[in-house]
Amino acid sequence: MVPILEMKGISRYFSSTDVLANDRVDFSVEKGVVHALVGENGAGKTTLMNILYGLIKPDSGEIFIEGKKVRIGHPNDAIKVGIGMVHQHFELVPSFTVAENIKLGIEPTRAGFLNTRAENEDVAQLAQKFGLKIDPQVRVRDLPVGMQQRVEILKVLQRQAKIVILDEPTAVLTPQEVGELSTVVRGLTKLGLTVIFITHKLIEVLDVCDRVSVMRAGRMVGTKAVAETDIPDLAKMMVGREVLLRVKKEPAKMGGVVFESKDASVADISGLAAISHVSFDVHAGEILGIAGVSGNGQTELVEALAGMKPLDGGKFFFKDKDITATNVRARRDLGIAHIPEDRMTVGLNLQTTLDENLIVSRYNQPEYSRMGFLIEKTIRNFVETVIKSFSISAARPGEGISKLSGGNLQKIVLGRELAGSPSLILANQPTRGLDVGSIEFVHKTLVEARDRGCAIVLVSVELEEIMSLADRILIFYRGMIQGELITSQTNEHEVGILMAGGTMEEVRKQKAAAESEVNR
Amino acid sequence: MTPRALRKLLDAILIPLLAVLSGLVLMGVLVVVTGKPLWESYQILFTSAFGCKNAATSCSLFTTLERATPLIFTGLSAVVAFRSGMFSIGQEGQYLMGAVMAAYLGYAIHLPYVIHPIVIILASMAAGAVYSWIPGILKVKLGVNELLATIMLNAIATTFTEYMVQYPMRADRGTTAHSPIIDATAFLPSFFQGSRWGVGFIIAVLAVIVVIVYLWRTKSGYEQRMAGQSLKFAFYGGIPSDQAAIRAMVISGALAGLAGAVEVLGVQHRIMTGFSTGLGFDGLTAAILGQTHPIGVFIVAILFAGLRLGAQIGLQIQVHIPQEVGGTIIGFIILFVAARKFYENSIASVRKLLTRNKDIKAKGEGG
Repeated sequence: MVPILEMKGISRYFSSTDVLANDRVDFSVEKGVVHALVGENGAGKTTLMNILYGLIKPDSGEIFIEGKKVRIGHPNDAIKVGIGMVHQHFELVPSFTVAENIKLGIEPTRAGFLNTRAENEDVAQLAQKFGLKIDPQVRVRDLPVGMQQRVEILKVLQRQAKIVILDEPTAVLTPQEVGELSTVVRGLTKLGLTVIFITHKLIEVLDVCDRVSVMRAGRMVGTKAVAETDIPDLAKMMVGREVLLRVKKEPAKMGGVVFESKDASVADISGLAAISHVSFDVHAGEILGIAGVSGNGQTELVEALAGMKPLDGGKFFFKDKDITATNVRARRDLGIAHIPEDRMTVGLNLQTTLDENLIVSRYNQPEYSRMGFLIEKTIRNFVETVIKSFSISAARPGEGISKLSGGNLQKIVLGRELAGSPSLILANQPTRGLDVGSIEFVHKTLVEARDRGCAIVLVSVELEEIMSLADRILIFYRGMIQGELITSQTNEHEVGILMAGGTMEEVRKQKAAAESEVNR
Repeated sequence: MTPRALRKLLDAILIPLLAVLSGLVLMGVLVVVTGKPLWESYQILFTSAFGCKNAATSCSLFTTLERATPLIFTGLSAVVAFRSGMFSIGQEGQYLMGAVMAAYLGYAIHLPYVIHPIVIILASMAAGAVYSWIPGILKVKLGVNELLATIMLNAIATTFTEYMVQYPMRADRGTTAHSPIIDATAFLPSFFQGSRWGVGFIIAVLAVIVVIVYLWRTKSGYEQRMAGQSLKFAFYGGIPSDQAAIRAMVISGALAGLAGAVEVLGVQHRIMTGFSTGLGFDGLTAAILGQTHPIGVFIVAILFAGLRLGAQIGLQIQVHIPQEVGGTIIGFIILFVAARKFYENSIASVRKLLTRNKDIKAKGEGG
């Protein structure tokens, strides 16, 4: 059978960054399958897809759709031959309804006036045809992210797309929404559509896709049927070496209590409690995992711990000292490090140099400034030490960082936060958006800090990450601690029950039931 | 200089340079349309802006430098505010406050040479600083937009100056109101007899250096720039950004106030009705065209002053082209800087063309 899409010998060189983003790439997709395209950040998968969608012109190479050679110089050409793309960042009008967004530019009219009823009916029909449940009359701004993505997919489908490209579709979704998306994607292939699924989360490849192509450093490494491969194999193809997917670690050697939260509450913007009456402690030498579906108060908790949000009730103690009223700088000076959720806008200032990013938490210390003047020499020494000990090979002292990869940027944050051996590290989603190799590095670094006696609070919505790193797990649900589990005595299933709002009672029952099953 | 640093510098000055050239070309169009000699006009514009036949008697370069001096200060004032994330356009008002203070203390108090101007300069800087602190504190405490606040304060300062000249400080009942001439002890001396280019310019050069050192080599400057580039990052890192914002406004105001003092002590020796000639706004545009860098401001201020002078004493008197052409060229230049995307795109396509040729050549040699 002729493949529905074939790309042959695609090359593209970017002179501005001196990168050969695609080097004679061959890529072929069968009709009616979900085909994953994986690779680390900067491997060239986005460039390849942008060429396919007409956003970038290749230097050389040919594209065939169902065996026929096509020229795609503009997204309009791509749409004409049946290619649709859902970008990672949605392009929707928030104040318009679902139907208005989908029919934007092709609104049905009657006597020159908008025919809203026909518009809604058309969209309802379209949604039904593809099995994507959605209310056409809801405003997009009132929809959760997963539903907004559905609107984007419908937009593509109503232009009669045969091939749907999904660019990192799960990056913004909650675990439940990921499940729904994979059902939607499956449904599309049943109707004869072909889906190209760009991702770097390998577990999704196994769950959702039929075939997988792996890219590395601008080249196509290989294409396999998903049934014939597994995660370690794919990870090796992506990174080019064996990857430790689950960090090796000894049991925690717990020390005394470093930090204690007593009955802490924070209200969010609307005045509702973002976290309410949260009490817990963290010991030296342990990783305390905070699990929970995104948006259950984790961000507010970390911001409160770091001193970026005041408490509306309760107290924080650091080494038995009340720090409730102290500000960010005072807490940093005490030895509290913070790896924020958003490294691009919060954790780093991409407009300035590496040096100035690295000194933000210590420029005030006597080694780094004297009589108001910054001491260039100590700063430069510090920068060089961080570059060396965190092997940030791409970064140079005194130069900008805006062009570095996500992995390297996170290394800069880690290097800054872990230097000066802090007693408490707040790590909020430290591997979000990173590729396999960088995740391995971050995990290893955190475990090493733990083994040096550092207390770590790790917030993550990736259950896998919590299970492999944390020694103890607190599960957050609607701003409260739903339960506490010891990692070595629990499993993902039990944590999942609590994440979904179940109680410790239910967990115990499940456990008892499972044990009686085994005994029988 | 390393090739990397050189490239960075080229990137920074390429667009302003192209904008200036485009502005001058458009001036040529204006000249041709009005039927005046093209080449001669350019020549006259430049010799009457930057020419220097005789240091003592006819040196227009000195006049240009004299006129650039207050622009340098107001430009630096804008640089300090912009770099710290405060979009303050209050230089005009702060400049006037500084000038009123200088004109008043120039005749109201009597001090010996050297001490008199120093006291006045400090007082004028304080006047500008306080006038700029107002929008700063409003922004930090109440979230009042500093752009709007400074516009309002500019209007108030203009009216206030006019009132001071017309009533309390008025020296005579002639047709144009002006304040008394300040004491000779307060004069900032000039370098040559017959020219008013003097010590003020030295202060301006020093101010350029001080601002560079302050912004890029001190803790406070670091705090201000970080808060200016990314408030979130500054907050996360524990930088006291409210303090940084207020400090930025105070320093910015002091520099604009200094401009007023230097203009009064070194050039006008009094204030008169219509004293405000848009120096604050020219400084603002000098800051933008100068890539919000003190050295850029220094160069652009001299260029602007030269264009205005060249148009005034060159084009107007010698070729009878209205002196407003000078302002028009500056307007064009600003317009072209605003259209920087146009230049960026053209530069990118030129670069692409060049590298493609190189690639082909390299490939040819390889094959």
